[in-house]
Amino acid sequence: MRRILLIALKDLLLILRDRSMVLMILIGPFLLTFGMGLISGRMGGGVSQSSGPRDIPVAIVNQDGQMLGNALVNVLSSPELAVLLEPVLVPDVETAKQQVEADQVAAAIIVPTGFTQSLIPLAKEWQAWSPSSSSNLAIQIYANPGRPNSVAIIESIVREFLFRVEKGRVLGLTAITPLVTAGAIQSTQAEEIGRALGESLARANDAKDLMQVAITEGGLTPSHEVDVMSSLAPGMALLFLMFTATYGARSLLVERRQQTLQRLMMTPTSPIQILLGKGFGVYLSGVLQQLVLIGTSTWLFSLNWGDALGVIALILCAALAAVGWGLLVAAWARTPAQVASAGSALMLLFGLLGGSFVDLSSMPSPVYVLSRVTPNAWGLDGYAILAGGGSLSQIGQPLLALILMGVSLIVFAGVILMHSRHFTQA
Amino acid sequence: MHSIFAIIRKDVLLRFASPSEWLFFLFLPVLFTFVLGMGNYGSDGKVTLLVVDEASNEISARVIKALERTPGLRPEVVSRAETEARFGTRKVDFWLYLPADLSEKHLRRGEQIQLLLYQQPNNLRAVAVQRAIQAAIGGESLPFEAAHQAVTLAEQYSVLRTEEERQQYFNEAFQSAHVLWTQAPQRLEVIRPSRAPVYDPRAHASAGQLITWVFIPLFGISALLAYERNTGTLARIMTTPTSQAIFLAGTIGGQVLIALVQMGLLVGFGVFALRLPWMRDPWTLAVLLFTSALAAGAIGVFMGTLVKNEAQANNLSILMGMVMALLGGCWYPLEFFPDAVKMIVHVLPTTWALEGMVNYLMRGKSLEDLFPQLAALTGFAVLFFVLGLWRLWREQSV
Repeated sequence: MRRILLIALKDLLLILRDRSMVLMILIGPFLLTFGMGLISGRMGGGVSQSSGPRDIPVAIVNQDGQMLGNALVNVLSSPELAVLLEPVLVPDVETAKQQVEADQVAAAIIVPTGFTQSLIPLAKEWQAWSPSSSSNLAIQIYANPGRPNSVAIIESIVREFLFRVEKGRVLGLTAITPLVTAGAIQSTQAEEIGRALGESLARANDAKDLMQVAITEGGLTPSHEVDVMSSLAPGMALLFLMFTATYGARSLLVERRQQTLQRLMMTPTSPIQILLGKGFGVYLSGVLQQLVLIGTSTWLFSLNWGDALGVIALILCAALAAVGWGLLVAAWARTPAQVASAGSALMLLFGLLGGSFVDLSSMPSPVYVLSRVTPNAWGLDGYAILAGGGSLSQIGQPLLALILMGVSLIVFAGVILMHSRHFTQA
Repeated sequence: MHSIFAIIRKDVLLRFASPSEWLFFLFLPVLFTFVLGMGNYGSDGKVTLLVVDEASNEISARVIKALERTPGLRPEVVSRAETEARFGTRKVDFWLYLPADLSEKHLRRGEQIQLLLYQQPNNLRAVAVQRAIQAAIGGESLPFEAAHQAVTLAEQYSVLRTEEERQQYFNEAFQSAHVLWTQAPQRLEVIRPSRAPVYDPRAHASAGQLITWVFIPLFGISALLAYERNTGTLARIMTTPTSQAIFLAGTIGGQVLIALVQMGLLVGFGVFALRLPWMRDPWTLAVLLFTSALAAGAIGVFMGTLVKNEAQANNLSILMGMVMALLGGCWYPLEFFPDAVKMIVHVLPTTWALEGMVNYLMRGKSLEDLFPQLAALTGFAVLFFVLGLWRLWREQSV
């Protein structure tokens, strides 16, 4: 056991002394996490801010200038949408379109003259109501094709507003017209009641829909706020863990080339002890890397990784799985350069398939199935559960998958190495 | 000229000495482009919405139909167990729960029914999806609400006297509201500028990955310089009549040439596999690719004069390449960035290169329109080439 520990500590020290290695395993993931924090707006905002477009610039041309046009302006400028939208009133359509084409705004919303009039009939029109009496006057969204996500958000907000307007119209006409027809109310009263109904329904906050959509975040308590960084930082940490593991396992081949492996073989240390010692050294460097990254991000970004026991268990298991892959690459390769190339390729491939770069949920099914061979995917599942308020007991599946992956790969790589003359006859 | 070609030939041979180079030269870039292009933002732009229908009645069927008609949503009815399994493993971002009490009986009574939308934390599309669902399902409950409203108002004006009258009034109002709702005209028109092609996430992935995978090896010129310096071959070259400028021209030239071939292959993949209009204006494209490669190559040379050994240079190249690609908008659209960051990242060549390529691909810009991007990239090339040359000259004279 002592020999295994000595080899492991020696390898760990060698890795820590290598500046270029430190650059990749510590500064690399930190820089990328920081970069992702910057682009997601996390560095400049509160913990609970979500990722994605915010402060979307939108030009509004309110040619209508009446109740519904003004209501739309109010909705777009409401405090609820203050983080999401940055509306600007523009006097004419041409200027708004120019702003879209110059990429100054994500879209221009044009409320045409007479829009309110087209939906809410005047007093004299109540008697003559029919389903076809509503005109086809439409609000226009002049969309910036370079900002599709922002346009989709603006479109959904305007569509919801229009739904409420339409609802007001339907409710008003359905409730008031029969009363006017029956002579129960006067036309002048009808217009007043109709406008009051329309106004209240155009405000989303006053909505009293019979069917309402309530949002819940995957079984989390509504008060639990999840930091966007908590989904970015683990992705980068796991990406570079793969690099640490493959680069560390390279030392087997480097030692053989430098003849130090041959020297080691001449001592009473068995090949299994050497293999375990070197594997354990890589494992320690992986664990240390994860601990430093998690510690630094907690300290610098006030990042809450979740249940501490769960985080430690994930670190230990993810490092084990990564070591398994690292040893397998070292068992397959013949030169240190081959390990370096294959290691970098594996790191990037696993990063892509494992969800370190993009959300796996939007990937086609085959990609999702493939992702399960990567420690990244299982690790990210675990970190997501913990960041969402889960505990150690809830990450049993990712932990088990990582342990099984790590043990089976280490055994497999060990068998290959023990039968390899490059190792045993070094 | 002969010396330059000799250096180019040497560098090409050195780089492709290992077959694994093809992994980074072609295999991984194509794979990243394909996966990110097809999967990153959804190949058809729609969000998959799993629906658990515990009501299984006419109303819930109508709600699902309404969701199917909603732009941007792709509802998929599955069992609760399957939904929870897929959601728990992050295979889907959202699922909608239609409870058993979603029935005509409850709606007729005017009882509010809550539909639960489960979402993964911090999802980019959450706001849009929630609003889209609310607007879609609202149409299904609207006739009931309208009928209740009509009855309430009629009762205020004492129009209804018996329960039968009340029922009849409710049914008539329900029918009127249904007709009004189904015959309502489209009140929203989304217009895109006629000159601009429709946004295609594959175009962004193609341009972004092209830059990422070409810039990293071009930054790797630093490793070539470190290798030459550490093995003493640089000093040997400098003892020959070859000047620093010729050496650098050869070193950059070779790598830029390889980069152009790589770009050509990735453009070919974009054209044939992703059907992107890369070949719309070959001359403009050539200028754009050449200036991008030149800027990255010059930065590689400058980095080469800073690093101490090959390993350091290799790791720094990968790291700088990844960070610059991320911040330059190559992985996620610049649209997502906060305004201040969007402005700051213009100190990076990757931002200008991406802007140029996206403007060329998606906005159909011409060579003249791309002048700012081309000028910035040329500026980067000149600045870092001069800095590299100066540092190399100083190094040799010490």
